[in-house]
Amino acid sequence: MLQFKLVLLGDSSVGKSSIVYRFVKDSFDEFRESTIGAAFLSQTITLEENNQVIKFEIWDTAGQERYKSLAPMYYRNANAALVVYDVTAPDSLMKAKSWIEELKKKVGNEELVICLVGNKVDICEEDDTKRKIEFEEAKDWANDENLLFYEVSAKTGYNVKEVFQKIGEQLYEYKKAEQANKGTQDNSNITSNIRLQEPQASNPTSCC
Amino acid sequence: MREGDMQGYVEPSAIRMKVSKSFDDDSSLSKNNSNVTSGDFDSGVGMNTRKNQVASQNITMNNPIYSMKAKFGIRSPSVPNFQDSLYSGNNNSTPILNNSRRFDPGINKNESNNMDTRKYWKENADVDSAKETPIDNNKTHDDPAMSVIDLYNDDDGYSRNNRSSMGHQLEDYHLESDDEEDEDSENNHESSEMLAAVSNAEFLPKSITLNRKELNTEHCDRYGFKKKNNYVSEETYNAWWEDYSGYCIRRKHKWLLLLQKSGLPVHNDIPVRFPPHSEKLKRYVRKGIPAEWRGNAWWYFARGQEKLNKNKDVYSNLLLKMGNLEDETQKGKIQDLDVIERDLNRTFPDNIHFQKEAFSTKEPVMIKSLRRVLVAFSLYNTKIGYCQSMNFLAGLLLLFMDEEKTFWMLVIITSRYLPGVHNVNLEGVNIDQGVLLLCIREYLPELWTEIESSYNGYTKNTPNNSANSKNLFLLKLPPITLCTASWFMSCFIGVLPIETTLRIWDCMFYEDSHFLFKASLAIFKICEPDLLKGKPSHRSFSQYSLTNTKQHRSNACQDDYDMQMFQVIQTFPKTIIDPNDIFEKVIFKRRLQLNRLDQNEIDKCRKYVAVQRQKHKNYDDIIGKLGNTSPFDEKSDEQNLHGGKFIDNSINILGKDLKMTSEMVNEALSSEVYDFKRGFSGVNWNNSIKERVKHMRKKK
Ligand SMILES: Nc1nc2c(ncn2[C@@H]2O[C@H](COP(=O)(O)OP(=O)(O)O)[C@@H](O)[C@H]2O)c(=O)[nH]1
Ligand SMILES: [Mg+2]
Repeated sequence: MLQFKLVLLGDSSVGKSSIVYRFVKDSFDEFRESTIGAAFLSQTITLEENNQVIKFEIWDTAGQERYKSLAPMYYRNANAALVVYDVTAPDSLMKAKSWIEELKKKVGNEELVICLVGNKVDICEEDDTKRKIEFEEAKDWANDENLLFYEVSAKTGYNVKEVFQKIGEQLYEYKKAEQANKGTQDNSNITSNIRLQEPQASNPTSCC
Repeated sequence: MREGDMQGYVEPSAIRMKVSKSFDDDSSLSKNNSNVTSGDFDSGVGMNTRKNQVASQNITMNNPIYSMKAKFGIRSPSVPNFQDSLYSGNNNSTPILNNSRRFDPGINKNESNNMDTRKYWKENADVDSAKETPIDNNKTHDDPAMSVIDLYNDDDGYSRNNRSSMGHQLEDYHLESDDEEDEDSENNHESSEMLAAVSNAEFLPKSITLNRKELNTEHCDRYGFKKKNNYVSEETYNAWWEDYSGYCIRRKHKWLLLLQKSGLPVHNDIPVRFPPHSEKLKRYVRKGIPAEWRGNAWWYFARGQEKLNKNKDVYSNLLLKMGNLEDETQKGKIQDLDVIERDLNRTFPDNIHFQKEAFSTKEPVMIKSLRRVLVAFSLYNTKIGYCQSMNFLAGLLLLFMDEEKTFWMLVIITSRYLPGVHNVNLEGVNIDQGVLLLCIREYLPELWTEIESSYNGYTKNTPNNSANSKNLFLLKLPPITLCTASWFMSCFIGVLPIETTLRIWDCMFYEDSHFLFKASLAIFKICEPDLLKGKPSHRSFSQYSLTNTKQHRSNACQDDYDMQMFQVIQTFPKTIIDPNDIFEKVIFKRRLQLNRLDQNEIDKCRKYVAVQRQKHKNYDDIIGKLGNTSPFDEKSDEQNLHGGKFIDNSINILGKDLKMTSEMVNEALSSEVYDFKRGFSGVNWNNSIKERVKHMRKKK
C-alpha cells in the first residue's frame, strides 16, 4: 500500500469539505458547518490498471484568506493538492490561482501533484446562466500551468472519484520513476544529505 | 404553595418544548412576523420580565397550559426564553404569543427600518433602567425547587409539592460532600434514589403525562441542537441525559442555596449577581452553572456590564453604521462581509434556531442577529475583522443572551481569553499552540515523546540542529497542532459535544483562559490510552516504503501512527458527551500535576512563546540574509531534494554585523528553556484550608 498526503485548498464555501465527504463517505449534506482550522480524513482507493492500493491522508482546510498563515503547516510534506473553485463564483478561480502560485512558490516540490477542480457543476446543468467560469477558460489555464483539471459536483458525485483516481495514478507514476531512479543511484541518501547543506534561495519569513 | 400553582402543575420548559415541537413539525406555520426579534434584541433582564408581565395579563386563563406559561414563561434571557420569543413569531394560534407580540412596538420598527435603530435603542434603554422592577406576586418564583431544565426531560415527573421538601433534603444531604473538595457528591446513590422515588408520573394530570411523551420523542436537546450526530446516537444521548438531567437539577438546588446564603436571593429564577470569587464558588462553577442562568452568569463573571457601561452607545452606533453601509453600497469594500455571509448558514445548521422553516424562504431571526453581531464586530475591531470560527462563538452566545451582550462578550472573548487568536495573522493561534505543546511536554511526558518523535521526522534533516532544536517546535509547529488549533479558535464548539463545551465555557469565564489549556490537557489525558495504543513498537528506520527520498517519510510505521493519532485527536473529543468525564476523571483530581496550571503560568508561558517565536523569526531572517539554509523555511526539505534554486552568492555581501547578531540570537535561543513552576501554589492551598476551617467552625 502506498500512502500519500493530500491537502485541499481554495476559497471559503467553494465546496472543499463537501468534495471530501463525497469521496470519503459518498454522501452530501446541503447544510454543513464551516470548517475551522483543519479536518483530517483518510480514504483508500485501488488503481484500476494494476490494483495498487493507495491510501490518502486528507487535510481539509478552512478557506478564509487569513488561514493562509497556517497553510504552511497543512501543505508541509504534502504529495498532492486539490485546489478547488466554484464554477458559479467568479472570484473563486482567482483565489484558486493564488493558492496554486503559493504552492509552487512555497512547496517547491516538482513532484507535487496539483489538481484544479471546478465544483458545483450541477447548478449549471440546471441553469446554465449560473455558470460564471467557462470550462475552456479554466482548462486552458490549468494546461498552461501543468495541472490536472476536472469539473465536478460534490452534490451529485459527478467526477469526484475520478479526481482521486487520477491523482493516485499520477502519484504512482512518480513513485515508480523514483524507485527506478533509486536502483541506478544507490547513494541517493547521501546525495540528498549533501544537497541539504547547500545554500538556496529562500524566503525565510514565509513560514507560519 | 401559592394559589394558582395548583391547576395542573407543569413547568415552563415542558410547555416550551411542546410549542417547540409543533413549530418543528408543523410546516404550515410560517415564521412571517417580524416581531420575532422580541427576544433577540432585548438588552436586559428587565425588559424580559416586563414583557412577560404585560403579556400575562392578556391571557385567557381557561387553558391551564397557557396560564402556566404566562406564569413561568419568559423568565430568563437564556435558551428557554429565546425559544419563547421564537415561538411568538411562529405560532399564530397560541394566544399568549399573539399577545406578547403586541407589546413590542420598538422592535417592530427596528426590524422594518434599519435607520430606526437609535430610537429603538433609546426605548430599550428606558426599559432597561427599570431592570429590577418587581413583578406581580402571582408570578414570583423563588421556589428553589423550580428548574427550567427539570422539564426538558424525564425528571418532570414529580410534583412540585413533593419536590420542594425533597429539594431541601437533598440540599442538606449534599451540603457536606460539596464542601469536601475531592468527594464526588454526584455519584451519590442515595440521592438519585430519592429523586427516583418522587419522580412518579402518577402525580400528574393526564395531559401533562402526554406532554412528557412528546418530549421524549424530541430529537433536539435543550438548546435546540440535534441530539444525534455521527458520533453519538440518539439512544446514547437519551440514556446519558436521563442521568445528567438529574445531576443538573441537583446542582441547581445547590446553587440556589448558595445564592440564598450569600444574600443574593433569586427573583423570578434569574440571578443577576453572583457571590464573590471563592474556592467554593469555583467548585460550583466547575460542576456546572444551571443552563438557564448561563447567560447572566457568564456576563457577570466576564464583567460584561463593566464593558457595556463604558461603551453605552457603541453597539447601536455600529448598527447604524452598518445600515449606512448598505445604503452607500460600500459593502463591497469590506471583504469580511462576504465571508460572513457565506458562514451564516453554516453556523449550527443542526440547531433548530438557526434553521429556516420548511417551505419558508424567510431568514431565521437567529441568523439575522448573527449577521448584525458579526458585521458590527468587524466594523468595531478592524484588527480582527471577521475570522471564521467567530460565527460559532457568537452563535452560541446568542443562544444564551441578547444581541448586544453577545457582541460585547465576543469582544471580551477575542481580547481577554483568546488574545490575538482571531487576528488577521492568526499569530495568537500559533502562540497558544506553542503553549499547549509546552504544557504537554510538562504534564503528559509520555504523549510528548510520541509527538516529538513524530515531529523529528519532519525536521530531521535540518542543519543547525544543535542550536535550534530545543524550541524549534514553537516556530514550526508539529502537525498535531493542525487538529488542536480549532480547539482554541472556537473554544471547543464543534470539538466537544455541547454540554461538555458549555461546562468549559463556565470555567473559562470564571477562571480565565488557563482553563482552556487545562481542558485541552484533560482531553489528551483521557484519550491518552487510545493515543499511545498504536505507537510504533520500535522506531527503526529500516522499514522503508516506496517513499524513500527522505528517511523520516519513509518510515511507514511512523506515518501510520501519525494518521492514527490525528484520527483519535479529531474523533475522540466528539464522543465525550458526559462533561463529568473530563471533570471527575481529570479536573477534580488534585493529585494530577496538570491541575497546578494556573493563569499566571499561562500568561508567562504565552509571553515566553511569543518571544521565542519572534527570536526564531529574527534568527531565520538573519540566516536567510547570510545565505545559509534556513531550518525554518518550508522549502528547505523539498527544494534541496528536488534540485531547487540555489542561493545567489551576492547575498553574502551582507556584513559581519548580521553574523554577530545571528550568533547573539542563536545564543539566546539555546539558553532559554521554559520552566514550569513546580509544587503547590501557596495561594490555592491556603484558600482551601481557610474554607475548611470556616466550614468546621460553622458546623460547631
Ligand atoms: N449545488 C451544489 N452545492 C454545493 C456543492 N458542493 C458544496 N455545495 C454547497 O456549498 C456550500 C459550501 O460547501 P462546503 O463544503 O462547506 O465548502 P468549503 O468551505 O469549501 O468546505 C454548502 O452549502 C454546500 O451545500 C455542489 O457540488 N453543488
Ligand atoms: Mg470546509
